[in-house]
Amino acid sequence: MARPTPLRNRVRELRERHGTMTQAELGEAIGVTRQTVAAIEQSRYSPSLESAFRIARLFGVGVEEVFYWEEPS
Amino acid sequence: MAFREKSAWVMALALLFGGAFYFYLVAQMSGAVGALAPPLVPTLVGYTVLMVVIAVVGHVLAAVTAPRDAAAPEDERDRQIVHRAGHLSSYVLAVGVVLALGGYLVTRDGDLLFYAVFGSLMLGSLVEYLTQIYLYRRGG
Repeated sequence: MARPTPLRNRVRELRERHGTMTQAELGEAIGVTRQTVAAIEQSRYSPSLESAFRIARLFGVGVEEVFYWEEPS
Repeated sequence: MAFREKSAWVMALALLFGGAFYFYLVAQMSGAVGALAPPLVPTLVGYTVLMVVIAVVGHVLAAVTAPRDAAAPEDERDRQIVHRAGHLSSYVLAVGVVLALGGYLVTRDGDLLFYAVFGSLMLGSLVEYLTQIYLYRRGG
């Protein structure tokens, strides 16, 4: 039932690189639920622009370093 | 599973069981009188009580299994899902009401009009919760 969106991301990679940050902790930091973070990481949900920037700012990188476009094959 | 998805399951089940109970009673009463039975307050009260009991018990169980999730405020994905599901269900309700009104113009049967509108309300709500479940499963 999962439908990956063309908007892919490196959220999981960045989260793991930042110590032991869990999906719940990231969600709390940017104001979304753990399930929403999981859906973003699996590219099943495209976050709002505001949440995308919040994630990028949290990890101290540009938004284009977190999110990128990949056409479905 | 997110608390709000569990909540949608609870409400969908409450609507299914409540609707089945209500229309089973109406069918039984209609069979007894040999015509469409008029809507009665006790039947509606029974339906409402059953719905409330299922909804309350279901939500308590859902909250007990995931208290943190239950206390978390709605986020952007929740709001988007609720909005999209509500939008779709409004069409179901509108089509049902238009058909019910059309049926009334033909039959002039107020009881049938009541059941058709009430059924449309149930079906619209059911579609709303089933759509929420689908969107939560899909991701958003």
